[in-house]
Amino acid sequence: MLKITDLHVAVDGGSKPVLKGLTLEVKPGEVHAIMGPNGSGKSTLSYVLAGRDGYAVTGGSVRFQDADLLELEPEERAAAGIFLAMQYPVEIPGVANNYFLRQSLNALRRARGEPEVSAAEFIKKLKAVAERVGVDPELLKRDVNAGFSGGEKKRNEILQMVMLEPKLCVLDETDSGLDIDALKTVADGVNSLRSPDRGMIVITHYQRLLDYIVPDFVHILADGRIRKTGGKELALALEEQGYEHLLGEAA
Amino acid sequence: MNAPARATRSRYVAPIPAFADAFTAARSSLPGKEAPAIQDWRQLHFDRFLETGLPTPRVEQWKYTNIARAANVPMALATRPNVGLGDVQRYFTGGPLARRLIFVNGHLASELSHVRGLPQGVRVESLGKLLQDEPEWSARALGGPAEPHSFADLNAAFLQSGAWIELGDGAVLEHPLQLLFLTVGQPAAVMAHPRIVVRLGKEARLHLIETHIGLAPGHCLTNLVGHYELGEKARLTHDRLQLGSAGTSFVGLNRQRLAERAELKQTLATLGGALVRNETDLHLVGSFVEAQLNGVYMPIGEEHVDNVIRIHHEAPDGHSDQFYKGVMDDRAHAAFAGKIIVHQDAQRTNAFQRNDNLLLSDDAEISSKPELEIYADDVKCSHGATCGELDRTALFYLRSRGLDRAQAESILTFAFAAEVIERFVDPAVRKLARECLVARTPGGAGLSDLL
Ligand SMILES: Nc1ncnc2c1ncn2[C@@H]1O[C@H](COP(=O)(O)OP(=O)(O)O)[C@@H](O)[C@H]1O
Ligand SMILES: [Mg+2]
Repeated sequence: MLKITDLHVAVDGGSKPVLKGLTLEVKPGEVHAIMGPNGSGKSTLSYVLAGRDGYAVTGGSVRFQDADLLELEPEERAAAGIFLAMQYPVEIPGVANNYFLRQSLNALRRARGEPEVSAAEFIKKLKAVAERVGVDPELLKRDVNAGFSGGEKKRNEILQMVMLEPKLCVLDETDSGLDIDALKTVADGVNSLRSPDRGMIVITHYQRLLDYIVPDFVHILADGRIRKTGGKELALALEEQGYEHLLGEAA
Repeated sequence: MNAPARATRSRYVAPIPAFADAFTAARSSLPGKEAPAIQDWRQLHFDRFLETGLPTPRVEQWKYTNIARAANVPMALATRPNVGLGDVQRYFTGGPLARRLIFVNGHLASELSHVRGLPQGVRVESLGKLLQDEPEWSARALGGPAEPHSFADLNAAFLQSGAWIELGDGAVLEHPLQLLFLTVGQPAAVMAHPRIVVRLGKEARLHLIETHIGLAPGHCLTNLVGHYELGEKARLTHDRLQLGSAGTSFVGLNRQRLAERAELKQTLATLGGALVRNETDLHLVGSFVEAQLNGVYMPIGEEHVDNVIRIHHEAPDGHSDQFYKGVMDDRAHAAFAGKIIVHQDAQRTNAFQRNDNLLLSDDAEISSKPELEIYADDVKCSHGATCGELDRTALFYLRSRGLDRAQAESILTFAFAAEVIERFVDPAVRKLARECLVARTPGGAGLSDLL
């Protein structure tokens, strides 16, 4: 469903290469974990998939379900089914969380030619999902992420993701800042979306998350490329041996 | 004319004779017309107005508003058109138990007003009635001229109506008091000169709602003066909403004096009116005063909004906080000039000021001028002004959730201004302001779910 081929991306007005030939394919139903040292370009990859500006694609291609993803506006990508749970969710003072989510659900439905949800239907679903992913109902009325704790922001991302039911979920360090209970709740939410027609990219620093969201593949991103790919045991090996040792072996 | 007066003449222009004609015509109909005390009081102020003249942009305080051009035109005192309950009910705020004085083009509409059953120690009176019934007392209570101010002097000369609100020590008005000023524009230029006097005794508490509503377009200049005295530990919540209609203008001067540990929370939204100028002169005369001034302005078309604020920290341990936001579209122009003066004795003052602006059009304009004048050494002061476009990160975030660019921009524009609206204490004021904000937001039709 997602095919990234030899992707080159530069930041700082195109002057600083970050991704230097990244290739990755995600098929429906697969969960791919991406691990890598700080600054290796994991978030850059996630932003390029979601269409944030400031990331210049200088080479390669990204295809998503037969479309040239790089040609699409962010909202078109969302409508196509891409969702990015951000490493640093954005605070939007003045916009209520539940309002925002309903607007976004209806915008996606309109774009897909589906009918909008009624207010009653929406609230019912929102309550159920909020409970499942451990979002305090009070936070639904508050402004989007404004004044939320780190953990509350991450859970709010997962709430949005479960509500919007994307085809490809990209989670960028959703686990950082979560205690073990929160991690389990969040993982449950993510796992509830696992299905044969949905793909996932789970970016993380820690093997810990992968105990709960068990990946089909683990990739190590370093120097702007996927340097090593394996099964879930690669995450364990990485935890024990560290990047240098593992990548030194690979080189 | 003596020399200093002539020197200021270069920065002020002489009022056109129409003012004297209007004054002569009005004298015989204004409240207190039979009483020498009021006659003299009016004359004193009118003479000083003639002497001072109308300020041009060369006067520092009037730099951003060419009021001489706008107001030095023939204007008669506005008459009172017929306005029924049905026309005004939708502007009732403060809940079902609120009391209300309603003014139409500067005239008290007593049949629409309701201020009965006030608790012990609370006095709410029509100022026009006081001038008429108790002229000597009124002339004394309103006081002699403070420093000259063209519009305050003009207001005294033509003073027609308004509210005298007095709460004795410990008096509390549980439910809000609304002063609803309606303007019905007229084809020929007219003016109205209401005044608000608020005196809160020690530990008195009041929630005052001041709404200025334009009911019909046309030329009407409202020239309002507000005098606020807050005693020790008194608390005033002041929600102010300005929804002028096309052609109507507003010039207002508020003077506030806060005694020890008094608290003021004022929120002001300017969402309509050809020319709106709000001048605030706030004195923290006692120690440990808390003053919060919130404001938002959103001029569209050719509208012009000017906020001039001077905060005088005169005593130690005071805290003032100004939070003003503006959104300018089309060819609108707005100005924000906020000055904080920390006197030598005002040690441990905390004074903050923020003024954030959003320009939606290349032809819109904002002038923002923060100023600090600090004579004490142990103070925390900060000010910041920004002017820019919508936050790109927030735009991306909304779009990544499926909202298209236009919708995301609308929501963020609304949210930018709504941050101030949320500070209104009265829910009905908040609702009115939100409706008006939505109507002024590009693509606002798509935001109806927000109401
Ligand atoms: N918008 C940006 N502007 C400038 N530099 C950026 C930007 N985004 C990322 N970078 C730089 O690109 C590199 C990769 O960053 P990032 O993708 O955030 O790494 P990771 O998520 O793996 O920690 C870093 O050196 C970072 O400073
Ligand atoms: Mg990152």
